[in-house]
Amino acid sequence: MADVVVFDAMPSSAVLYARALVPRSRPAVAAGLPERTVTLLHYRSTAAELARYDAVCGFGLTDALPASWLHVLTFPLQLTLMTAPDFPLAPTGMVHVSNTMVQHRPTLITEAPELSVRAERLRPHRRGVLVDLVGEARLGGEPVWEGRSTYLSRAATLPGEAEAEASEPDADAELRTAGLWRLPADLGRRYAAVSGDVNPIHLNPLAAKAFGFPRTIVHGMWSHARVLAALQPRLPEAYEVAAQFTKPVLLPSTLRYAVAATGSGFAARLTDRSGEKVHLRLGLTVR
Amino acid sequence: MADLRNAVLVGSNRVPFGKVGGAYAAATNLDLLTAALDGLVARFGLAGERVGEVAAGAVLKHSRDFNLTREAVLSSALSAATPAYDVQQACATSLTAAVQLSNRIRVGQLDVAIAGGVDSASDSPIAVNDGLRRKLLRLNAAKTPLDKLKTLATVRPADLAPEVPRAAEPRTGLNMGQHQAITTAHWGITRQAQDELAAASHHNLAKAWDAGFFDDLVTPYLGLTRDQALRADTSVERLAKLRPVFGDGPDATMTAGNSTPLSDGAAAVLLAEEGWARARNLPVLARIVDAETAAVDYLTGTEGLLMAPAHATARLLGRTGLSLQDFDFYEIHEAFASTVLCTLAAWESDEYCRDTLGLDGALGSIDRAKLNVNGSSLAAGHPFAATGARILGSLGKMLADKGRGSRGLISVCAAGGQGVVAIVEAI
Repeated sequence: MADVVVFDAMPSSAVLYARALVPRSRPAVAAGLPERTVTLLHYRSTAAELARYDAVCGFGLTDALPASWLHVLTFPLQLTLMTAPDFPLAPTGMVHVSNTMVQHRPTLITEAPELSVRAERLRPHRRGVLVDLVGEARLGGEPVWEGRSTYLSRAATLPGEAEAEASEPDADAELRTAGLWRLPADLGRRYAAVSGDVNPIHLNPLAAKAFGFPRTIVHGMWSHARVLAALQPRLPEAYEVAAQFTKPVLLPSTLRYAVAATGSGFAARLTDRSGEKVHLRLGLTVR
Repeated sequence: MADLRNAVLVGSNRVPFGKVGGAYAAATNLDLLTAALDGLVARFGLAGERVGEVAAGAVLKHSRDFNLTREAVLSSALSAATPAYDVQQACATSLTAAVQLSNRIRVGQLDVAIAGGVDSASDSPIAVNDGLRRKLLRLNAAKTPLDKLKTLATVRPADLAPEVPRAAEPRTGLNMGQHQAITTAHWGITRQAQDELAAASHHNLAKAWDAGFFDDLVTPYLGLTRDQALRADTSVERLAKLRPVFGDGPDATMTAGNSTPLSDGAAAVLLAEEGWARARNLPVLARIVDAETAAVDYLTGTEGLLMAPAHATARLLGRTGLSLQDFDFYEIHEAFASTVLCTLAAWESDEYCRDTLGLDGALGSIDRAKLNVNGSSLAAGHPFAATGARILGSLGKMLADKGRGSRGLISVCAAGGQGVVAIVEAI
């Protein structure tokens, strides 16, 4: 039975995370996902919150909202779904492995899109179980933005054959270094403050250790946003962008940003300083 | 000089000007200048185009903004192959930039160029004071941890007081309003006359907005669609109630109502060689006929800080053979209502024009119905470096509407006792 949860004000990520930290039993993974859509009827961003987000991610403050900001706005709706008692995977410790966004047209700061999120495609992975949280932003009934966040739960298993790893979007492109980014130790806390994603693995070294990371790691969506910010002046009105978070970025660190214009858009990569360890691959296609 | 080309004003764009701490409180100079450029690019289809040169600037500048204009070009939709540089001549910044670029186009060095300016009073730089700055530099140079510790130990509480930028003249310590108050008293400009000019500025600007005059001159930004300082419903009676803020004693006349508010905003104008513009079917509004910059000695009490435009006008009219009455529009930047009124009084004074400007007699009076007809800085606000481009953009449109050969005079006073005037003519 499909159900719909409707908010008319943004739920608090911090409260939802607190709920997630309480241990409790969950339904069996094999029972599947609850059929539910979580909707926020309208949300108008303020210039002040957008400016803080832009400053942390490297965007200039423009009337057009960054696609990654719309992801930030849908994140509390994702958490609402994932912290519900009938959600089969534990949200704490889940890893964001890939993200795809489609911008049909820019959403302006003066507009108040309707935002909704649902979960789908629960499937086995060689290291656990994958699930997609699918978001949508609509204006006047028309979709203007879609986002698909794929999360890996390493704590769960599901019988069946794991799907093939996604191909490398930049496999054929000749990428050139266009940046050396120094990420400060407190970047996880800074991004948490502007995005509301207060997952402890980004905030506190001890919490990060508890989930198997030697130090705090930066949010995948910061890395993704930072690359979009580097491309901001060249972004088309409508595009699709796919990012794979191949290895977590420990803080502090220095990242090498490499990019190339392709026939259809851009390919980019974030690696460690030497260029050997790949943290993020990104492909952007004009629509 | 026969083979000089024609440089024309194609059009302009600005953001609605915001009040300090208002709609643009979170925006930086870079954000604002980029917004003004991108609006211009969108209006004239310049996305991805290489423009010959962009010259713009800001008065209140962070040290990180050393290459502000080039950074704004890189943030904009212009081709990254567009060169840019920063200029700064206080409140005359973008007018001076436009004059220089127009000349570069005329001599054949550029085909198309953008002049602009930006200022944010909300995001103004705060510096550490000189004592702390020197100690921090020493700390940075210290080799051993002990040396570093010794340097740190010399920091005193007084070193921690920040240096906030003020609109004060470095040599006199007087702020601009205090300087102007002296000039206002010298010329005997009344409170009533100042309040009337301020009310007219608001009413003219409101009328222009209502008539759609700014529809192709302004692009909304961050939800702001009109100039935030504009008070359409103000009146001389209301303005008369305000307490004077500049000047001393019972004779003080300058209030927050007849002085420009601190503002945030950016403006840009597109200039091109006439053939280049026509080949692209772009508008050809007007041209900068000639311009003159003057500077005065305000340190010895012989001249007012903001009186340089009176001098520049005398020289410019002398050179072009025009009289002060040969104009359809006068755009005199309203740093303060009394700045405009002092300038008019100076032009009307036989004694001043003879003894100070070296003319045979007064330049005369102007038809006040032709002055700042679509409002000026008192109502629109005054993001220092953006004001010249705002005025040039608006005047170009007014002249083009009026018809070929119509003529306007721009006068902009600037800190440091400087002033720029320009003659603009419809094509």
